Amino acid sequence: MNPFDEEELRRALRESANGFTVSTDAMERILDEARELPTLEKRRRLHSFVERTSRVKSSVMAAAACVVVLAVAVPLVNAESPAMSAAGAHRPLVQTNAEKIAIPSAVSGTGFESGIVLPQSEAQILGLTSPVQGTAATGLAVTVTNAKNSTSDGSEATQSSLRVEEVGTIQLSVGGTKFQSTLTQLTDFATTDGGFVQSTQSHMGTKASHSYSTGSIVLQVPEHNFTMLVDQVRHAGMATSVVTSANDVTGQYVDLQARISALQVSRAQYLKIMTRTGTISGILQVQSQLNQIQSQIEQLQAQLGLLNSETTYATLTVILTQSGHQAVTPNHSRSGLDKAWHDSLHGFAVGVEWLIRIAGPLLFMLLLVAALLLIGRLLWRVTERRRNRIG
Amino acid sequence: VSDQVDVDELRTWLEDGYANSVRTAYLILGNRPDAEDAVQESFLRAWKFRDSLVTGASFKPWLYRVVVNTCNSKLRKEIPHRSRRHNDDDWEDVAVIEDRISQVAVTNDVMTALKDLPAHLRIVIVLRYYADLSERDIAAVIGRQPGTVKSRLNEARRRLALHPALQPEAPSPINVRKENHS
Repeated sequence: MNPFDEEELRRALRESANGFTVSTDAMERILDEARELPTLEKRRRLHSFVERTSRVKSSVMAAAACVVVLAVAVPLVNAESPAMSAAGAHRPLVQTNAEKIAIPSAVSGTGFESGIVLPQSEAQILGLTSPVQGTAATGLAVTVTNAKNSTSDGSEATQSSLRVEEVGTIQLSVGGTKFQSTLTQLTDFATTDGGFVQSTQSHMGTKASHSYSTGSIVLQVPEHNFTMLVDQVRHAGMATSVVTSANDVTGQYVDLQARISALQVSRAQYLKIMTRTGTISGILQVQSQLNQIQSQIEQLQAQLGLLNSETTYATLTVILTQSGHQAVTPNHSRSGLDKAWHDSLHGFAVGVEWLIRIAGPLLFMLLLVAALLLIGRLLWRVTERRRNRIG
Repeated sequence: VSDQVDVDELRTWLEDGYANSVRTAYLILGNRPDAEDAVQESFLRAWKFRDSLVTGASFKPWLYRVVVNTCNSKLRKEIPHRSRRHNDDDWEDVAVIEDRISQVAVTNDVMTALKDLPAHLRIVIVLRYYADLSERDIAAVIGRQPGTVKSRLNEARRRLALHPALQPEAPSPINVRKENHS
Protein backbone atom coordinates (compact mmCIF):
# COMPACT_ATOMS: atom_id res chain seq x y z
CA MET A 1 0.00 0.00 0.00
CA ASN A 2 0.97 3.57 -0.34
CA PRO A 3 2.91 4.56 2.77
CA PHE A 4 3.11 8.04 1.43
CA ASP A 5 1.00 11.09 1.80
CA GLU A 6 0.21 11.79 -1.81
CA GLU A 7 -1.21 15.21 -1.14
CA GLU A 8 1.99 16.22 0.59
CA LEU A 9 4.01 14.96 -2.33
CA ARG A 10 1.78 16.85 -4.73
CA ARG A 11 2.15 19.99 -2.70
CA ALA A 12 5.91 19.63 -2.48
CA LEU A 13 6.25 19.15 -6.23
CA ARG A 14 4.09 22.16 -6.97
CA GLU A 15 5.90 24.27 -4.49
CA SER A 16 9.23 23.36 -5.98
CA ALA A 17 8.12 23.76 -9.59
CA ASN A 18 6.26 26.96 -8.98
CA GLY A 19 9.16 28.43 -7.06
CA PHE A 20 10.34 30.31 -10.15
CA THR A 21 8.68 32.42 -12.78
CA VAL A 22 8.66 31.26 -16.34
CA SER A 23 9.95 33.83 -18.71
CA THR A 24 7.72 34.64 -21.68
CA ASP A 25 10.74 35.65 -23.75
CA ALA A 26 11.32 32.02 -24.51
CA MET A 27 7.84 31.83 -25.98
CA GLU A 28 8.67 34.62 -28.40
CA ARG A 29 11.87 32.87 -29.37
CA ILE A 30 9.94 29.70 -30.11
CA LEU A 31 7.50 31.63 -32.24
CA ASP A 32 10.35 33.29 -34.13
CA GLU A 33 11.96 29.97 -34.81
CA ALA A 34 8.64 28.52 -35.83
CA ARG A 35 8.19 31.27 -38.41
CA GLU A 36 11.49 30.29 -40.01
CA LEU A 37 10.72 26.64 -39.82
CA PRO A 38 8.40 26.24 -42.84
CA THR A 39 11.18 26.94 -45.30
CA LEU A 40 13.46 24.56 -43.48
CA GLU A 41 10.69 22.04 -43.37
CA LYS A 42 10.06 22.38 -47.05
CA ARG A 43 13.75 21.77 -47.65
CA ARG A 44 13.62 18.74 -45.40
CA ARG A 45 10.53 17.47 -47.17
CA LEU A 46 12.30 17.86 -50.48
CA HIS A 47 15.33 16.13 -49.05
CA SER A 48 13.28 13.28 -47.68
CA PHE A 49 11.46 13.06 -51.01
CA VAL A 50 14.79 12.78 -52.78
CA GLU A 51 15.92 10.23 -50.23
CA ARG A 52 12.72 8.31 -50.59
CA THR A 53 12.97 8.49 -54.35
CA SER A 54 16.51 7.21 -54.23
CA ARG A 55 15.40 4.46 -51.86
CA VAL A 56 12.63 3.50 -54.24
CA LYS A 57 15.09 3.71 -57.06
CA SER A 58 17.49 1.44 -55.20
CA SER A 59 14.72 -1.04 -54.51
CA VAL A 60 13.63 -1.03 -58.13
CA MET A 61 17.23 -1.44 -59.25
CA ALA A 62 17.78 -4.31 -56.82
CA ALA A 63 14.60 -6.00 -58.01
CA ALA A 64 15.62 -5.47 -61.63
CA ALA A 65 19.08 -6.90 -60.88
CA CYS A 66 17.45 -9.96 -59.29
CA VAL A 67 15.23 -10.45 -62.32
CA VAL A 68 18.18 -10.11 -64.69
CA VAL A 69 20.28 -12.53 -62.64
CA LEU A 70 17.42 -15.03 -62.59
CA ALA A 71 16.76 -14.56 -66.29
CA VAL A 72 20.40 -15.27 -67.06
CA ALA A 73 20.94 -17.99 -64.49
CA VAL A 74 17.92 -20.16 -65.22
CA PRO A 75 18.64 -20.76 -68.93
CA LEU A 76 22.33 -21.14 -68.10
CA VAL A 77 21.63 -23.79 -65.52
CA ASN A 78 19.30 -25.57 -67.92
CA ALA A 79 21.84 -25.40 -70.72
CA GLU A 80 24.78 -26.34 -68.56
CA SER A 81 23.41 -29.51 -67.04
CA PRO A 82 23.85 -31.67 -70.18
CA ALA A 83 27.05 -29.89 -71.10
CA MET A 84 28.56 -30.48 -67.70
CA SER A 85 27.72 -34.15 -67.79
CA ALA A 86 29.15 -34.37 -71.29
CA ALA A 87 32.38 -32.86 -70.08
CA GLY A 88 32.85 -35.69 -67.64
CA ALA A 89 34.66 -38.89 -68.48
CA HIS A 90 31.53 -40.95 -68.10
CA ARG A 91 28.49 -39.53 -69.66
CA PRO A 92 25.41 -41.67 -69.40
CA LEU A 93 22.96 -41.01 -72.15
CA VAL A 94 19.79 -42.66 -71.03
CA GLN A 95 17.32 -41.76 -73.70
CA THR A 96 13.90 -42.75 -74.74
CA ASN A 97 13.44 -45.11 -77.58
CA ALA A 98 12.40 -42.38 -79.98
CA GLU A 99 15.44 -40.30 -79.10
CA LYS A 100 17.90 -43.13 -79.13
CA ILE A 101 17.19 -45.22 -82.18
CA ALA A 102 18.75 -43.98 -85.38
CA ILE A 103 16.84 -43.20 -88.50
CA PRO A 104 18.70 -45.00 -91.27
CA SER A 105 17.48 -42.62 -93.92
CA ALA A 106 19.02 -39.75 -92.07
CA VAL A 107 22.46 -41.26 -92.43
CA SER A 108 22.13 -42.95 -95.80
CA GLY A 109 24.56 -41.61 -98.30
CA THR A 110 27.07 -40.68 -95.69
CA GLY A 111 28.86 -43.96 -96.04
CA PHE A 112 27.79 -45.21 -92.66
CA GLU A 113 25.37 -47.93 -91.84
CA SER A 114 23.70 -46.53 -88.78
CA GLY A 115 24.06 -44.02 -86.03
CA ILE A 116 22.60 -42.35 -83.02
CA VAL A 117 20.98 -39.11 -83.88
CA LEU A 118 22.51 -36.28 -81.92
CA PRO A 119 21.74 -32.62 -82.16
CA GLN A 120 24.42 -30.29 -83.43
CA SER A 121 25.06 -28.94 -79.92
CA GLU A 122 25.70 -32.44 -78.60
CA ALA A 123 28.18 -33.11 -81.38
CA GLN A 124 30.00 -29.89 -80.52
CA ILE A 125 30.04 -30.80 -76.85
CA LEU A 126 31.63 -34.11 -77.70
CA GLY A 127 34.49 -32.22 -79.29
CA LEU A 128 34.04 -33.21 -82.87
CA THR A 129 36.21 -31.29 -85.28
CA SER A 130 34.64 -29.08 -87.84
CA PRO A 131 35.43 -31.08 -91.06
CA VAL A 132 33.47 -34.04 -89.76
CA GLN A 133 30.86 -32.20 -87.81
CA GLY A 134 28.43 -32.46 -90.67
CA THR A 135 28.51 -36.19 -90.58
CA ALA A 136 29.35 -36.56 -86.92
CA ALA A 137 26.28 -34.64 -85.99
CA THR A 138 24.20 -37.29 -87.64
CA GLY A 139 25.10 -39.78 -84.98
CA LEU A 140 27.41 -40.84 -82.22
CA ALA A 141 27.86 -44.33 -83.61
CA VAL A 142 28.88 -42.88 -86.92
CA THR A 143 32.01 -41.48 -85.40
CA VAL A 144 32.74 -44.82 -83.79
CA THR A 145 32.20 -46.51 -87.11
CA ASN A 146 34.91 -44.30 -88.47
CA ALA A 147 37.34 -46.36 -86.47
CA LYS A 148 37.10 -49.10 -89.00
CA ASN A 149 35.59 -47.40 -91.98
CA SER A 150 37.87 -44.44 -91.90
CA THR A 151 38.05 -42.58 -95.12
CA SER A 152 40.65 -40.16 -96.34
CA ASP A 153 38.62 -37.09 -95.38
CA GLY A 154 40.13 -36.69 -91.98
CA SER A 155 37.82 -39.03 -90.12
CA GLU A 156 40.78 -40.72 -88.49
CA ALA A 157 41.27 -37.70 -86.34
CA THR A 158 37.75 -38.05 -85.05
CA GLN A 159 38.21 -41.76 -84.52
CA SER A 160 41.24 -41.26 -82.37
CA SER A 161 39.65 -38.47 -80.40
CA LEU A 162 36.33 -40.06 -79.50
CA ARG A 163 35.82 -43.24 -77.53
CA VAL A 164 32.34 -44.20 -76.46
CA GLU A 165 31.18 -47.34 -74.75
CA GLU A 166 27.57 -48.21 -75.25
CA VAL A 167 25.35 -50.58 -73.33
CA GLY A 168 21.66 -51.27 -73.47
CA THR A 169 18.89 -53.40 -72.06
CA ILE A 170 15.73 -54.41 -73.84
CA GLN A 171 12.82 -56.27 -72.35
CA LEU A 172 11.03 -58.28 -74.96
CA SER A 173 7.72 -59.98 -74.66
CA VAL A 174 7.14 -62.84 -77.11
CA GLY A 175 4.49 -65.45 -77.63
CA GLY A 176 4.92 -68.75 -75.85
CA THR A 177 5.44 -70.69 -79.08
CA LYS A 178 7.93 -68.22 -80.48
CA PHE A 179 10.17 -68.13 -77.45
CA GLN A 180 12.82 -70.52 -78.71
CA SER A 181 12.77 -69.17 -82.24
CA THR A 182 13.25 -65.64 -80.90
CA LEU A 183 16.32 -66.73 -78.99
CA THR A 184 17.75 -68.19 -82.17
CA GLN A 185 16.83 -65.04 -84.08
CA LEU A 186 18.65 -62.88 -81.56
CA THR A 187 21.77 -65.01 -81.86
CA ASP A 188 21.58 -64.61 -85.62
CA PHE A 189 21.33 -60.84 -85.28
CA ALA A 190 24.54 -60.75 -83.28
CA THR A 191 26.53 -62.90 -85.68
CA THR A 192 25.17 -61.13 -88.75
CA ASP A 193 26.18 -57.79 -87.30
CA GLY A 194 29.71 -59.01 -86.74
CA GLY A 195 29.29 -59.72 -83.06
CA PHE A 196 28.76 -62.68 -80.80
CA VAL A 197 26.63 -63.97 -77.95
CA GLN A 198 28.32 -63.39 -74.64
CA SER A 199 25.90 -65.41 -72.53
CA THR A 200 22.42 -66.85 -72.54
CA GLN A 201 20.11 -68.04 -69.86
CA SER A 202 16.67 -69.49 -70.46
CA HIS A 203 13.97 -71.35 -68.68
CA MET A 204 11.35 -73.09 -70.75
CA GLY A 205 8.00 -73.21 -69.06
CA THR A 206 5.43 -75.94 -69.48
CA LYS A 207 1.72 -76.08 -68.92
CA ALA A 208 2.13 -79.09 -66.72
CA SER A 209 4.32 -77.27 -64.27
CA HIS A 210 2.21 -74.07 -64.60
CA SER A 211 5.36 -72.09 -65.33
CA TYR A 212 6.21 -69.78 -68.19
CA SER A 213 9.30 -69.26 -70.27
CA THR A 214 11.85 -66.64 -69.34
CA GLY A 215 15.40 -65.96 -70.41
CA SER A 216 18.07 -63.45 -71.08
CA ILE A 217 20.75 -63.15 -73.70
CA VAL A 218 23.73 -60.83 -73.74
CA LEU A 219 24.86 -59.78 -77.20
CA GLN A 220 28.04 -57.99 -78.16
CA VAL A 221 28.35 -56.28 -81.50
CA PRO A 222 30.78 -53.77 -82.95
CA GLU A 223 30.03 -50.30 -81.73
CA HIS A 224 28.88 -49.06 -85.11
CA ASN A 225 26.28 -51.84 -85.40
CA PHE A 226 24.81 -51.29 -81.96
CA THR A 227 21.96 -49.07 -83.03
CA MET A 228 21.05 -51.37 -85.85
CA LEU A 229 21.03 -54.30 -83.46
CA VAL A 230 18.77 -52.43 -81.06
CA ASP A 231 16.40 -51.73 -83.91
CA GLN A 232 16.38 -55.35 -85.00
CA VAL A 233 15.83 -56.66 -81.49
CA ARG A 234 12.98 -54.27 -80.88
CA HIS A 235 11.13 -55.71 -83.84
CA ALA A 236 11.78 -59.30 -82.88
CA GLY A 237 8.98 -59.12 -80.31
CA MET A 238 7.04 -56.60 -78.32
CA ALA A 239 9.57 -54.36 -76.64
CA THR A 240 8.25 -53.34 -73.25
CA SER A 241 11.35 -51.42 -72.24
CA VAL A 242 14.37 -50.07 -74.11
CA VAL A 243 17.19 -48.50 -72.15
CA THR A 244 20.47 -47.54 -73.72
CA SER A 245 23.35 -45.51 -72.41
CA ALA A 246 26.62 -44.24 -73.78
CA ASN A 247 29.69 -43.33 -71.78
CA ASP A 248 32.22 -41.04 -73.31
CA VAL A 249 35.57 -42.41 -72.13
CA THR A 250 37.66 -40.37 -74.50
CA GLY A 251 39.26 -38.43 -71.68
CA GLN A 252 40.16 -41.59 -69.83
CA TYR A 253 41.52 -43.12 -73.02
CA VAL A 254 43.66 -40.12 -73.90
CA ASP A 255 44.91 -39.92 -70.33
CA LEU A 256 46.01 -43.53 -70.39
CA GLN A 257 47.77 -43.04 -73.71
CA ALA A 258 49.58 -39.98 -72.42
CA ARG A 259 50.71 -41.72 -69.26
CA ILE A 260 51.96 -44.69 -71.23
CA SER A 261 53.89 -42.40 -73.57
CA ALA A 262 55.44 -40.54 -70.67
CA LEU A 263 56.46 -43.77 -68.98
CA GLN A 264 57.93 -45.07 -72.20
CA VAL A 265 60.05 -41.94 -72.51
CA SER A 266 61.20 -42.45 -68.91
CA ARG A 267 62.04 -46.04 -69.63
CA ALA A 268 64.14 -45.04 -72.66
CA GLN A 269 66.05 -42.51 -70.54
CA TYR A 270 66.72 -45.08 -67.82
CA LEU A 271 67.98 -47.47 -70.45
CA LYS A 272 70.40 -44.81 -71.65
CA ILE A 273 71.51 -44.18 -68.09
CA MET A 274 72.05 -47.89 -67.61
CA THR A 275 74.47 -48.08 -70.54
CA ARG A 276 76.55 -45.33 -68.96
CA THR A 277 76.52 -46.73 -65.44
CA GLY A 278 79.76 -48.42 -64.52
CA THR A 279 79.06 -49.73 -61.05
CA ILE A 280 76.96 -52.71 -60.12
CA SER A 281 75.05 -50.83 -57.44
CA GLY A 282 74.18 -48.14 -59.97
CA ILE A 283 73.00 -50.71 -62.47
CA LEU A 284 70.86 -52.34 -59.79
CA GLN A 285 69.25 -49.06 -58.83
CA VAL A 286 68.45 -48.23 -62.45
CA GLN A 287 67.18 -51.74 -62.99
CA SER A 288 64.84 -51.36 -60.04
CA GLN A 289 63.45 -48.15 -61.47
CA LEU A 290 63.09 -49.77 -64.86
CA ASN A 291 61.14 -52.64 -63.36
CA GLN A 292 58.73 -50.27 -61.68
CA ILE A 293 58.21 -48.29 -64.86
CA GLN A 294 57.74 -51.44 -66.91
CA SER A 295 55.16 -52.67 -64.43
CA GLN A 296 53.26 -49.40 -64.59
CA ILE A 297 53.37 -49.42 -68.39
CA GLU A 298 51.93 -52.93 -68.49
CA GLN A 299 49.16 -52.05 -66.08
CA LEU A 300 48.20 -49.02 -68.08
CA GLN A 301 48.37 -50.91 -71.34
CA ALA A 302 46.03 -53.53 -69.90
CA GLN A 303 43.58 -50.82 -68.89
CA LEU A 304 43.89 -49.29 -72.32
CA GLY A 305 43.26 -52.65 -73.95
CA LEU A 306 40.17 -53.19 -71.81
CA LEU A 307 38.90 -49.74 -72.63
CA ASN A 308 39.63 -50.37 -76.27
CA SER A 309 37.63 -53.58 -76.30
CA GLU A 310 34.78 -51.95 -74.39
CA THR A 311 34.59 -49.17 -76.92
CA THR A 312 34.98 -51.53 -79.85
CA TYR A 313 32.06 -53.74 -78.86
CA ALA A 314 28.74 -52.58 -77.51
CA THR A 315 26.76 -54.76 -75.14
CA LEU A 316 23.04 -55.35 -75.40
CA THR A 317 21.19 -57.39 -72.80
CA VAL A 318 17.85 -58.76 -73.94
CA ILE A 319 15.43 -60.01 -71.32
CA LEU A 320 12.82 -62.29 -72.79
CA THR A 321 9.50 -62.99 -71.18
CA GLN A 322 6.51 -64.91 -72.33
CA SER A 323 3.56 -62.73 -73.36
CA GLY A 324 1.19 -62.00 -70.53
CA HIS A 325 3.81 -62.46 -67.83
CA GLN A 326 6.09 -60.05 -66.13
CA ALA A 327 9.81 -60.48 -66.03
CA VAL A 328 10.98 -62.88 -63.39
CA THR A 329 10.97 -61.23 -60.05
CA PRO A 330 11.82 -63.16 -56.96
CA ASN A 331 8.79 -63.39 -54.76
CA HIS A 332 9.58 -64.94 -51.47
CA SER A 333 6.67 -65.73 -49.30
CA ARG A 334 7.34 -64.38 -45.90
CA SER A 335 6.16 -65.45 -42.52
CA GLY A 336 4.12 -63.07 -40.38
CA LEU A 337 6.99 -61.76 -38.30
CA ASP A 338 9.32 -61.49 -41.27
CA LYS A 339 6.68 -59.64 -43.24
CA ALA A 340 5.96 -57.36 -40.30
CA TRP A 341 9.67 -56.65 -39.91
CA HIS A 342 10.04 -55.85 -43.59
CA ASP A 343 6.90 -53.76 -43.57
CA SER A 344 8.29 -51.91 -40.59
CA LEU A 345 11.59 -51.28 -42.36
CA HIS A 346 9.73 -50.18 -45.44
CA GLY A 347 7.60 -47.85 -43.37
CA PHE A 348 10.69 -46.41 -41.74
CA ALA A 349 12.32 -45.85 -45.12
CA VAL A 350 9.15 -44.25 -46.44
CA GLY A 351 9.04 -41.99 -43.39
CA VAL A 352 12.65 -40.93 -43.85
CA GLU A 353 12.02 -40.32 -47.54
CA TRP A 354 9.01 -38.22 -46.65
CA LEU A 355 11.01 -36.24 -44.13
CA ILE A 356 13.77 -35.60 -46.65
CA ARG A 357 11.22 -34.69 -49.28
CA ILE A 358 9.49 -32.10 -47.12
CA ALA A 359 12.72 -30.79 -45.60
CA GLY A 360 13.47 -28.65 -48.65
CA PRO A 361 10.09 -26.92 -48.95
CA LEU A 362 9.91 -26.63 -45.15
CA LEU A 363 13.32 -24.98 -45.02
CA PHE A 364 12.25 -22.65 -47.79
CA MET A 365 9.05 -21.79 -45.94
CA LEU A 366 10.99 -21.18 -42.73
CA LEU A 367 13.41 -18.90 -44.54
CA LEU A 368 10.50 -17.08 -46.12
CA VAL A 369 8.76 -16.65 -42.78
CA ALA A 370 12.03 -15.52 -41.19
CA ALA A 371 12.55 -12.99 -43.96
CA LEU A 372 8.99 -11.70 -43.60
CA LEU A 373 9.38 -11.46 -39.83
CA LEU A 374 12.64 -9.61 -40.26
CA ILE A 375 11.06 -7.17 -42.69
CA GLY A 376 8.07 -6.76 -40.40
CA ARG A 377 10.31 -6.15 -37.42
CA LEU A 378 12.36 -3.61 -39.34
CA LEU A 379 9.23 -1.81 -40.50
CA TRP A 380 7.84 -1.87 -36.99
CA ARG A 381 11.07 -0.47 -35.59
CA VAL A 382 11.22 2.24 -38.21
CA THR A 383 7.60 3.18 -37.52
CA GLU A 384 8.19 3.10 -33.79
CA ARG A 385 11.32 5.20 -34.07
CA ARG A 386 9.55 7.69 -36.25
CA ARG A 387 6.65 7.85 -33.85
CA ASN A 388 9.02 8.37 -30.97
CA ARG A 389 10.82 11.05 -32.89
CA ILE A 390 7.55 12.76 -33.62
CA GLY A 391 6.50 12.27 -30.04
CA VAL B 1 -1.35 33.06 -44.69
CA SER B 2 -1.66 29.48 -43.61
CA ASP B 3 1.75 29.69 -41.98
CA GLN B 4 0.59 32.73 -40.04
CA VAL B 5 -2.51 30.83 -38.94
CA ASP B 6 -0.34 27.96 -37.82
CA VAL B 7 1.97 30.25 -35.85
CA ASP B 8 -1.06 31.73 -34.13
CA GLU B 9 -2.07 28.23 -33.23
CA LEU B 10 1.37 27.66 -31.80
CA ARG B 11 1.02 30.84 -29.78
CA THR B 12 -2.17 29.42 -28.30
CA TRP B 13 -0.36 26.21 -27.46
CA LEU B 14 2.40 28.13 -25.78
CA GLU B 15 0.04 30.28 -23.77
CA ASP B 16 -1.83 27.21 -22.62
CA GLY B 17 0.97 24.85 -21.93
CA TYR B 18 4.39 26.44 -21.93
CA ALA B 19 4.64 27.30 -18.23
CA ASN B 20 3.37 23.89 -17.12
CA SER B 21 5.65 22.15 -19.57
CA VAL B 22 8.69 24.03 -18.31
CA ARG B 23 7.87 23.20 -14.71
CA THR B 24 7.28 19.55 -15.56
CA ALA B 25 10.53 19.39 -17.47
CA TYR B 26 12.23 21.12 -14.56
CA LEU B 27 11.03 18.43 -12.18
CA ILE B 28 12.21 15.72 -14.53
CA LEU B 29 15.55 17.22 -15.51
CA GLY B 30 16.43 19.01 -12.31
CA ASN B 31 17.43 22.42 -13.63
CA ARG B 32 15.81 25.33 -15.38
CA PRO B 33 18.09 25.91 -18.38
CA ASP B 34 17.78 22.29 -19.47
CA ALA B 35 14.04 22.40 -18.85
CA GLU B 36 13.63 25.53 -20.96
CA ASP B 37 15.77 24.07 -23.75
CA ALA B 38 13.81 20.86 -23.70
CA VAL B 39 10.46 22.60 -23.77
CA GLN B 40 11.52 24.94 -26.55
CA GLU B 41 12.67 21.97 -28.57
CA SER B 42 9.49 20.10 -27.70
CA PHE B 43 7.18 22.84 -28.85
CA LEU B 44 9.01 23.32 -32.10
CA ARG B 45 8.98 19.60 -32.69
CA ALA B 46 5.31 19.28 -31.77
CA TRP B 47 4.43 22.14 -34.04
CA LYS B 48 6.49 20.72 -36.89
CA PHE B 49 4.76 17.37 -36.62
CA ARG B 50 1.37 18.74 -35.67
CA ASP B 51 -0.19 16.69 -38.47
CA SER B 52 0.58 13.56 -36.51
CA LEU B 53 -1.90 14.58 -33.81
CA VAL B 54 -4.95 12.50 -34.54
CA THR B 55 -8.07 14.57 -34.96
CA GLY B 56 -10.15 14.40 -31.80
CA ALA B 57 -7.27 13.10 -29.72
CA SER B 58 -6.46 14.84 -26.48
CA PHE B 59 -3.84 17.51 -26.93
CA LYS B 60 -2.49 17.58 -23.41
CA PRO B 61 -1.11 14.00 -23.22
CA TRP B 62 0.28 14.36 -26.69
CA LEU B 63 2.18 17.50 -25.74
CA TYR B 64 3.38 15.88 -22.55
CA ARG B 65 4.56 12.96 -24.59
CA VAL B 66 6.66 15.28 -26.72
CA VAL B 67 8.07 16.98 -23.63
CA VAL B 68 8.80 13.72 -21.82
CA ASN B 69 10.48 12.22 -24.88
CA THR B 70 12.64 15.29 -25.30
CA CYS B 71 13.55 15.17 -21.62
CA ASN B 72 14.36 11.50 -21.92
CA SER B 73 16.53 12.23 -24.90
CA LYS B 74 18.40 14.88 -22.94
CA LEU B 75 18.79 12.59 -19.93
CA ARG B 76 20.20 9.87 -22.14
CA LYS B 77 22.40 11.83 -24.49
CA GLU B 78 23.33 15.26 -23.19
CA ILE B 79 23.18 15.52 -19.46
CA PRO B 80 25.26 12.44 -18.51
CA HIS B 81 28.13 13.67 -20.70
CA ARG B 82 28.10 17.19 -19.40
CA SER B 83 30.74 18.31 -16.96
CA ARG B 84 28.85 19.61 -13.98
CA ARG B 85 30.48 22.73 -12.67
CA HIS B 86 28.07 23.65 -9.98
CA ASN B 87 25.33 22.01 -8.09
CA ASP B 88 23.41 25.24 -8.33
CA ASP B 89 21.73 24.04 -11.47
CA ASP B 90 20.05 21.22 -9.62
CA TRP B 91 16.68 21.64 -8.00
CA GLU B 92 16.82 24.90 -6.25
CA ASP B 93 15.94 25.12 -2.66
CA VAL B 94 12.65 26.78 -2.14
CA ALA B 95 12.98 30.14 -0.56
CA VAL B 96 12.51 30.01 3.15
CA ILE B 97 9.72 32.01 4.56
CA GLU B 98 9.50 32.19 8.28
CA ASP B 99 5.97 30.94 8.70
CA ARG B 100 6.36 28.10 6.22
CA ILE B 101 9.68 26.78 7.36
CA SER B 102 8.47 23.24 7.99
CA GLN B 103 6.80 22.97 4.59
CA VAL B 104 9.92 24.27 2.89
CA ALA B 105 11.96 21.63 4.62
CA VAL B 106 9.57 18.98 3.40
CA THR B 107 9.74 20.27 -0.13
CA ASN B 108 13.51 20.21 -0.14
CA ASP B 109 13.58 16.68 1.25
CA VAL B 110 11.07 15.50 -1.33
CA MET B 111 13.08 17.05 -4.12
CA THR B 112 16.23 15.41 -2.82
CA ALA B 113 14.48 12.06 -2.82
CA LEU B 114 12.99 12.73 -6.26
CA LYS B 115 16.43 13.52 -7.65
CA ASP B 116 17.66 10.11 -6.56
CA LEU B 117 14.91 8.27 -8.37
CA PRO B 118 15.73 6.73 -11.74
CA ALA B 119 14.44 8.82 -14.63
CA HIS B 120 11.67 6.43 -15.65
CA LEU B 121 10.26 6.43 -12.12
CA ARG B 122 10.73 10.17 -11.68
CA ILE B 123 8.77 10.82 -14.86
CA VAL B 124 5.70 8.88 -13.72
CA ILE B 125 5.77 10.57 -10.33
CA VAL B 126 5.97 14.02 -11.88
CA LEU B 127 3.25 13.26 -14.41
CA ARG B 128 1.00 11.79 -11.78
CA TYR B 129 1.48 14.23 -8.91
CA TYR B 130 2.45 17.41 -10.66
CA ALA B 131 0.78 17.21 -14.06
CA ASP B 132 -2.21 15.39 -12.58
CA LEU B 133 -2.46 12.94 -15.42
CA SER B 134 -4.38 9.72 -15.02
CA GLU B 135 -2.57 6.41 -15.23
CA ARG B 136 -4.06 5.87 -18.67
CA ASP B 137 -2.80 9.25 -19.87
CA ILE B 138 0.62 8.60 -18.39
CA ALA B 139 0.66 5.29 -20.25
CA ALA B 140 -0.08 7.17 -23.46
CA VAL B 141 2.62 9.73 -22.68
CA ILE B 142 5.37 7.24 -22.00
CA GLY B 143 4.16 4.73 -24.57
CA ARG B 144 3.64 1.87 -22.12
CA GLN B 145 0.75 -0.14 -20.79
CA PRO B 146 -1.30 1.25 -17.88
CA GLY B 147 -0.19 -1.75 -15.84
CA THR B 148 3.41 -0.72 -16.33
CA VAL B 149 2.57 2.78 -15.16
CA LYS B 150 0.88 1.41 -12.06
CA SER B 151 3.84 -0.76 -11.18
CA ARG B 152 6.27 2.09 -11.80
CA LEU B 153 4.23 4.38 -9.58
CA ASN B 154 4.22 1.80 -6.82
CA GLU B 155 7.94 1.27 -7.15
CA ALA B 156 8.58 5.04 -7.13
CA ARG B 157 6.43 5.56 -4.06
CA ARG B 158 8.15 2.67 -2.31
CA ARG B 159 11.58 4.12 -3.04
CA LEU B 160 10.53 7.58 -1.96
CA ALA B 161 9.20 6.21 1.32
CA LEU B 162 12.47 4.41 1.93
CA HIS B 163 14.65 7.33 0.98
CA PRO B 164 16.92 8.51 3.85
CA ALA B 165 15.82 12.10 3.43
CA LEU B 166 12.28 11.05 4.27
CA GLN B 167 13.08 8.65 7.11
CA PRO B 168 12.02 9.20 10.76
CA GLU B 169 15.64 9.92 11.70
CA ALA B 170 15.26 13.02 9.70
CA PRO B 171 11.76 13.87 10.81
CA SER B 172 9.67 15.40 8.15
CA PRO B 173 6.08 16.49 8.20
CA ILE B 174 5.29 13.81 5.63
CA ASN B 175 6.19 11.06 8.04
CA VAL B 176 4.70 12.92 10.93
CA ARG B 177 1.49 13.29 9.02
CA LYS B 178 1.61 9.62 8.08
CA GLU B 179 1.95 8.72 11.72
CA ASN B 180 -0.94 10.97 12.57
CA HIS B 181 -3.05 9.33 9.92
CA SER B 182 -2.27 5.90 11.23
